Amino acid sequence: MVSLPSMVTSPPSLTAPELELRKQVRAFLAETLPWGTFEPGLGMGAEVNPKFSAALAERGWIGMAVPARYGGHDATAVDRFVVVEELLRWGAPVGHHWVAEEQKQWLLPRICRGELCFCIGMSEPDAGSDLASVRTRGVRDGDGWRVSGVKVWTSNAMRADFMIALCRTGDGERHAGLSRFLIDMHSPGVTVKPIPFLNGSTDHFAEVVLDGVLVSDEMVIGEIGQGWAQNADELAFERSGPDRWISTFLLVQEFIRERPDLAASPDGSRLIGELAAQYWVLRRLSLAVARAIDAGGTPAAEAALIKEMGTRFEQDVVSALRELLDRELVCGLEPAPSLFERLLRRAALDAPSFTIRGGTTEVLRSVAAKGLS
Amino acid sequence: MSDSELFDVAVKLFAEHSRWQDVGDADATGWPDNLWKALQQTGFSDVPVPEELGGAGGSVADAVQLLRAAGAHAAPVPLAEAGLVGGWLLASAGLALPEGVRTVLSPAATLRLDGDRLFGTAPAVAWGHRAEHVIGLVDGVVVLAPGPATQSGGPAVSRGVNLADEPRDTVVFDGVPVTARADAPDGVTEETLWERTALGRAALMAGAISAVAAMTLRYSGEREQFGRPIGRFQAVQAHLVTIHQQATVVASAVDGAVEAVELGRGGFEIACAKMLADRAARLVTAAAHQTHGAIGMTKEYPLHYLTRRLWAWRDEAGGHRRWADRLGSALVASGPDALYPAIQSGSEVVQ
Repeated sequence: MVSLPSMVTSPPSLTAPELELRKQVRAFLAETLPWGTFEPGLGMGAEVNPKFSAALAERGWIGMAVPARYGGHDATAVDRFVVVEELLRWGAPVGHHWVAEEQKQWLLPRICRGELCFCIGMSEPDAGSDLASVRTRGVRDGDGWRVSGVKVWTSNAMRADFMIALCRTGDGERHAGLSRFLIDMHSPGVTVKPIPFLNGSTDHFAEVVLDGVLVSDEMVIGEIGQGWAQNADELAFERSGPDRWISTFLLVQEFIRERPDLAASPDGSRLIGELAAQYWVLRRLSLAVARAIDAGGTPAAEAALIKEMGTRFEQDVVSALRELLDRELVCGLEPAPSLFERLLRRAALDAPSFTIRGGTTEVLRSVAAKGLS
Repeated sequence: MSDSELFDVAVKLFAEHSRWQDVGDADATGWPDNLWKALQQTGFSDVPVPEELGGAGGSVADAVQLLRAAGAHAAPVPLAEAGLVGGWLLASAGLALPEGVRTVLSPAATLRLDGDRLFGTAPAVAWGHRAEHVIGLVDGVVVLAPGPATQSGGPAVSRGVNLADEPRDTVVFDGVPVTARADAPDGVTEETLWERTALGRAALMAGAISAVAAMTLRYSGEREQFGRPIGRFQAVQAHLVTIHQQATVVASAVDGAVEAVELGRGGFEIACAKMLADRAARLVTAAAHQTHGAIGMTKEYPLHYLTRRLWAWRDEAGGHRRWADRLGSALVASGPDALYPAIQSGSEVVQ
């Protein structure tokens, strides 16, 4: 029998307060970011806009699930789901605060005000999917720690105020010797080198060299030696959210708007029907995990199952639309390409990263397989 | 009784009366008499028909739980036809349940009523030759008519079977007088009959897929090659993950469809559930057979009781295309800005 009880339990539909929250977010977006007045993004890879993040924070929609005593809002995982879903399906510029939001357990009041930008230092040149083999090392130095090593594929490092860095602090067993530090990116010894992305962007990906960076004891996240467990718990949050299946939704929406003829053709409407069914069920499963988190669970295996399916689906959307269009992706420089054309070009180039970032498909399958019994 | 308690009781009943050997015997004889009697005695065959119409009461959710259990045991009986679909159709028009085996004429049948006489051909009628009564919707009228197994004066029948050797018979009416008839109420149309039929198939498929998941996981832990259980190989784990993902998808989709139907709607959700079940059937049967290897292709090993049904049920009650086309056309007609709200709220806002 299926061994993932929290997922087969149906998510009760949204409650009246949850629906009211959704209404507020929709009204906020319609007012602050009217459709057509901004460049919508593809899910979490959206634009960076500190002013927008500040406006969201003002309404309490950043650091939502953080306890109020740390400046958060004591909201539920489902409330967070509701807000994130609306932001992402609108293509809103969430880039400035996205990582901070992912790491909400450790947020401070300034993060909840949307003032700080974070990056996550996990991967290294020799530690990708095998994350436990990180070599960046924190060595005791007086009252603090000296951190040295190289982090790669670090999103937004060039504009981050802080890095959450996974480091080796003990020689014990693989997982036991790992800890996490909050590193001030303006400290001496921190060097950020952009890594140009294949889509031409140079302001997203970076290599970060940490050369004897001094970190005080207060900047240890949780306890020394707990880094791996913290990481694993957070992945349940990170891997099951709308951001793992919604990234290419706007392509479908804008396809219907710009190519109503093709959308209404037999092949077109069949495809829209198929995609709608997938979105509907992925959303249900994703919401079920949020409910399970609110009930006190850490459904990590379930989250892995969803991300594995959801991110492959995000890619399938792009290839299915391209097959239907069956033409070269050449945009004229004049007149300016339409929104659908811009989104499609971006998605065609970004899509392979969907099944890599946040845990590759292959690693997720291993995590999920361990959860089967 | 809660839904999960009902499911557990039903699983026990099927485990006793629908063992693989019983299913195999029914393939040959066309009918598992003990199983059907047990379903009648417990009243399971008469869920969700109200008691005042001769049924056993219960909700659509109850009927779906019974079908999940039936699907998991490949139960070779017209349970969906007797209750969720046929029973509902009769009850909707205020007609009482008749005694004896009953089945449903598909909405694809070409039938007409001339006064109280029924004419035309109904293809692929589930267990048609065993039916003492058939239930159909003809030109907006709910009809109860004698089946081919009635004592005398019933319709002609020619036998057929689906990929799982379940009877799918052609029934021909040449003026058979109906037993009872009543106008269908508002909201009971050819399309809602399609939807009910599809919900029944999706529920059976959810059950069969969960059983394939359990059987394949067990086998992958027992079968050893290269000195270890094959389930320890990553390539095999990928199959197991696919199977469990799809089992979860279909379970959630069927739940969503039931929730909507109990609120008096469900067109969007049932279309999604049937599409997702059909897709899952394709992915799950392929992964399960690949994991089992040659043993899974034998008559002796029971995997085929489930996988052959999944292959057959994919195409029954409207296949993937029918539901994708209908849903997609409705969504495209509603325009781009209605698409996401439809994904969020389903039949509350669409159709």
